[in-house]
Amino acid sequence: MENENNAGTNRKVIFIIPISIIILFIVYYTVMLMISPARKLDDIRNEFISKSPDKENSDQRILMDSAYLKLLKEKSFLQSRIVMAETDSIYLTINLADSSANIEISGVVVHKAKMSDVKTSRILTSGNENAILSMLAKPFVIDYARSTIKKEPVMIKMAPKDTSEYKPDIMPDTSITEPVNYILEMNGGLRIYVYQKENDKFSERINQLKFDLNDRLNDTWAALKSIAVFKVPEYHLFIKMKLPRSDAKIIYRALPRNGLIAVFK
Amino acid sequence: MENEDIKNEGALPDTDKDASGHNTVNSDGNSMSDESSEQKDHRRKPISKIWRAIFVFLCLILITSFLIFFILYGAPVIVELSSKQNHKTENSVELKKDPVYKKQITLLTKDIQRLSIKFNAYTSGQSYIVINTTENRFFLYTNKKLVREGFCSTGSLTMLKTEKGDKFWVFKTPKGKRSIHGKITNPSWNRPDWSFIEEGLPVPPKNSAARYESGVLGDYALSIGDGYLIHGTIYKRFLGMPVTHGCVRLNDEDLEAVYHTLNIGSKVYIF
Repeated sequence: MENENNAGTNRKVIFIIPISIIILFIVYYTVMLMISPARKLDDIRNEFISKSPDKENSDQRILMDSAYLKLLKEKSFLQSRIVMAETDSIYLTINLADSSANIEISGVVVHKAKMSDVKTSRILTSGNENAILSMLAKPFVIDYARSTIKKEPVMIKMAPKDTSEYKPDIMPDTSITEPVNYILEMNGGLRIYVYQKENDKFSERINQLKFDLNDRLNDTWAALKSIAVFKVPEYHLFIKMKLPRSDAKIIYRALPRNGLIAVFK
Repeated sequence: MENEDIKNEGALPDTDKDASGHNTVNSDGNSMSDESSEQKDHRRKPISKIWRAIFVFLCLILITSFLIFFILYGAPVIVELSSKQNHKTENSVELKKDPVYKKQITLLTKDIQRLSIKFNAYTSGQSYIVINTTENRFFLYTNKKLVREGFCSTGSLTMLKTEKGDKFWVFKTPKGKRSIHGKITNPSWNRPDWSFIEEGLPVPPKNSAARYESGVLGDYALSIGDGYLIHGTIYKRFLGMPVTHGCVRLNDEDLEAVYHTLNIGSKVYIF
């Protein structure tokens, strides 16, 4: 009887120890992650508030006034757009207020797209307005992009040796509709997630799920590496949106590799 | 009872002993039924072990799945929920009467007006054309209003390589802001080297008459610099597709409209 009891206790211990470790790990992991947005906001504050021209404005009440903030937002967005217009490059403007994403060249809107299912970091929408607005007054630069489609789908064609080998160009197959999902990682830790709106086919849903899962795995791996050395993981501000497939493709292909993006919230 | 126990013990020499080392016997001393129940127990033990193993295995799978799901999907949600900052905005009437506030608002409004004027000046009031290379469409604007749109053909994004691999050409339409450099009527095509190499023909010398081909570029051509043209085409079935060597092809009617709308210096926005 005693042996049976001992075996039972051992079994319980065998269960309790790993479960306790798992719970402890979950708590530690979550707490570390929960600290990261506040850290990020502090970083933004340190980087932008000190450089903000509105710092001289000592009256904190003015900085909290809704009319003043509205004007400040407008000014930040215009400042960003003017900086980008002067580059002569193709750039993107994201207007979270009216859910539009426009491609512009030298201040001229050349393509308009309507965003849907827009989700943003809470910091972007409810964080310290002055710090965020100061950050948005400068355009973001694309550091790298991860996508399910090629930026420039260049096909290689070998020149024929003589006229007998020459084959006239055949009509390109425009029926191929590859899924369009991509992530633009910007300087300043902002990530823009673009998913195609059309998700009727099972394969499209699977593709989107795989794409999203891959991103989550990368983030989790990075977070685990930081946590392992007792470091708070990096928090990424994000804007997630759905765009019609054609618009998503046009925007991705139009933007240069280190393209500029301005955000209006 | 003791005698009976002894008898039973003798009859069952291989009887199992319990945990305390005593032989186990039924109270009624029925050794046959005792044997069968023990055999059943023996049979049940491995089955229960299997069930237990399955249960433990399922528990492990469940815990692992929960852990993975929590880390990948649950934790980011919790982080977002916890990251809400309480930055309050006010709409105080008292503040609006404050001269410092009024000054700040006036300054900001002036800044916005100045920036808006600057920004609006970028969009020319003159005619310009926008070319979408992904969808192979064009949009013609006059006085900031869309006056014509339609299909065009742009660069095929093909890289033509010579057999030796020493030369290559990428057929793509340049993106960005360009302008009309020149306008030509009844243009003839001065075929570049690649057009001969692409067809497996020998490349004639520069300025050779073999290089000139008329009637293939339509009635008009508009130069946008670096050898790129907006011109007509004899391959109208390819309009709306990426098939050109970098130039922009339009159908005859659209080309005529574009030719008459755009002037030298008019902007061409390609994306």
